[in-house]
Amino acid sequence: MQSSRLASPTSASSPSRSKSEDAAIATQLQYSRDTRTDDKLGSNLVGSLVLHGIAAALILGGAYLFRSHRPPWGENASTAGAIQATMVSSLPLPPRQRQLDTGVLTSEAPSPAPLIEKEKTTPPPDLKEVPIPTKAKPPKKVAQKETPQPPKHIQPTPPQPKKAATGETAGIRVAESTIPLRNGTASVSVQDRTFGARFAYYVNIVNRTVAQNWYTQEADPVASNGKRVTLVFDINREGVPSNIRIETRSGSPTLDSSAVRAVQRVEGFGPLPQGDHITVEYSFDYRRQ
Amino acid sequence: MSTVRTSNRPRTRLPILLAAASLLMLCVPSLRAQDWFKTETSSGAPTIRLAAADFKPVSSDPQTAPFKHTFDTTLFNDLTNAGIFDMVSKSMAPQVTPGAPNEINLQQWSAAPASAAMVAFGSFSVQNGRIICNGYLFDAKNAQYPQVLAKQYNEVASEDSARQVAHRFADEIIFRLGGGVAGIAETKIYYVKLAGGNKEIWAMDYDGANQHAVTHLGTISISPRISPDNSRLAFSSLGKHGFQIRMYSLLLNRAVSFPEAGGTNVSPAWSPDGNHIAYSSSRTGDPEIWVSDASGGGAHRITSFRGPDVSPVYNPKTGAQLAWVSGRTGLPQIYIMDADGSGVQRMTDGGYASSPSWSPNGQYIAFAWNRKYGPGAPGGQDIYVMEVSTKRWIQLTHDSGPCDFPSWSPDGRHIVYANSADGRAAHTRIWTMLADGTQKHALTGPGADMPNWSWK
Repeated sequence: MQSSRLASPTSASSPSRSKSEDAAIATQLQYSRDTRTDDKLGSNLVGSLVLHGIAAALILGGAYLFRSHRPPWGENASTAGAIQATMVSSLPLPPRQRQLDTGVLTSEAPSPAPLIEKEKTTPPPDLKEVPIPTKAKPPKKVAQKETPQPPKHIQPTPPQPKKAATGETAGIRVAESTIPLRNGTASVSVQDRTFGARFAYYVNIVNRTVAQNWYTQEADPVASNGKRVTLVFDINREGVPSNIRIETRSGSPTLDSSAVRAVQRVEGFGPLPQGDHITVEYSFDYRRQ
Repeated sequence: MSTVRTSNRPRTRLPILLAAASLLMLCVPSLRAQDWFKTETSSGAPTIRLAAADFKPVSSDPQTAPFKHTFDTTLFNDLTNAGIFDMVSKSMAPQVTPGAPNEINLQQWSAAPASAAMVAFGSFSVQNGRIICNGYLFDAKNAQYPQVLAKQYNEVASEDSARQVAHRFADEIIFRLGGGVAGIAETKIYYVKLAGGNKEIWAMDYDGANQHAVTHLGTISISPRISPDNSRLAFSSLGKHGFQIRMYSLLLNRAVSFPEAGGTNVSPAWSPDGNHIAYSSSRTGDPEIWVSDASGGGAHRITSFRGPDVSPVYNPKTGAQLAWVSGRTGLPQIYIMDADGSGVQRMTDGGYASSPSWSPNGQYIAFAWNRKYGPGAPGGQDIYVMEVSTKRWIQLTHDSGPCDFPSWSPDGRHIVYANSADGRAAHTRIWTMLADGTQKHALTGPGADMPNWSWK
């Protein structure tokens, strides 16, 4: 019926005419069916019914025979409603970064709050403890006495001794030390005269140490004979010489350089007894042996 | 005229030539015998003439007299041993004992025969079991401001502390008058003492007093080396696994651990900062120089030459160089190199050189040298000093038997060494001398060897 209806696409537009055509086709089909398959319909129907009955019996019987004997999932009363689930955090993931609990920034624990001492109220001062200032009495004013004027005339000075007095008093120490050497003389003087007088022994040590380091064979004996070279250098607090310069050249370069080398060879004279540096003038007199 | 005459008579020349030749022949042995001579480079500057007065006893305690005698003797000996003073003999000095600055008459001391430029004097007493000592040093030629030094000491009364007080006062004087170089009167010498078949490490004061044992190991311990801070003693000791470096703490008075290594490990040497030890080890088969920490860790080899390399010693001034003995050319010779093993330089030109010791200022190396070593060569092992920069050397000991193991004092003015007059080990004594070879005297009896002077 459907196929016939689709075969007449104009039927919707003309419903009055299509009603008569449908009846004509149906009678035509009814006719053809009756003529061809009328005798086989009964046996086929019975066979189909029996086959369907057997299939239904098999399904139902199988379902009954192989039914589950356990209680169905989720119906147990004790665990009903509590479904065990594995948490993601228990997975064996790589370890997390170490947590420093000691650091203030990394720790999650709140750091202890600083102790805030309670402000103490100072007790008011005892009134009796405060000394009451007493008024100082002003000193009694005394009129200044006029000192007598010194006499106008000049006092005569005692005559200076013309000869040097020896043996009676200790000689005045000159801040210079001189050592005779085999090849001449070495003398030292300190520019700070009070130092030289007070620590004459130190000046002596300076002289002796430099003289011991003066290798006179470095100087040319002919050219240096009778010549004198004067050096100036500083000695710092540790006694180390520095800033060596030639004050007066001798005219013999070998003597000059031997004198400079003598001071350069000295590692130190020992710590200064006073002050943080002294300036020393050192003279070499070369005399041929 | 004369030339013409001789040419005319050629026959007369022959006897003259023969006579001259025979004279030369006679001269040759005498020249050979005296192949050393003393040179003097000093400019003739005199040394300071110093008088040490006997100190004044100012208490009636019976202990005062013996302790004061110890003090006076020790002080005089320390100042004499310093080598920088011309000491006024006690017989020349005035027979007075000034005890305080107001009691001294300086003219008495500066006049002949004492002619002293400096006077050390003071008072000494024992009160309530304590030594009380006032020491002064006066400039005898400076009447205006004579005082150079004034010191007071207060110590427990004992023979040893009387000596210590004298040492300390002497060191003060030496420091003040010796150009700022600290004295050595308070230093120690560590050495090997032959005791039966064993050798133990002993120690003594610099003047040979107070000799006492340090180790009691009952084996053979050699080459003691004291650390720069005087806290540890490294030495080499024969144990189960041969010679090993051992370490002894002088603060704890017991041995402390030092890792053992294969082979023979001998001759330790401290770096001047005390952080490293160089020693000779044959763990790789050939004795080489190894350097490790002071605790023995981080050992690494710095030489790799055929032949033995032993006896390293650091340059005490810089710590950047090592001198050692290498046998790469046959007989042992002294070499120097940088602390990392580079810049190797040979110092001695022949003979048999051993046991170097570097001077505290880094300029010189003292060592034992047999310059004519070998069969038929007459030569003795003597102490020599070589200037490192120029390789010029001088001989310090002569004709006194084999000398070995020189060791510099911390002030660089003295050398201590071992000497055996007849060459037998049992007769070896420890001697000391000034670094120019003068003032030799023995410090110990026989059976003492391998001295090592402490660093301070």
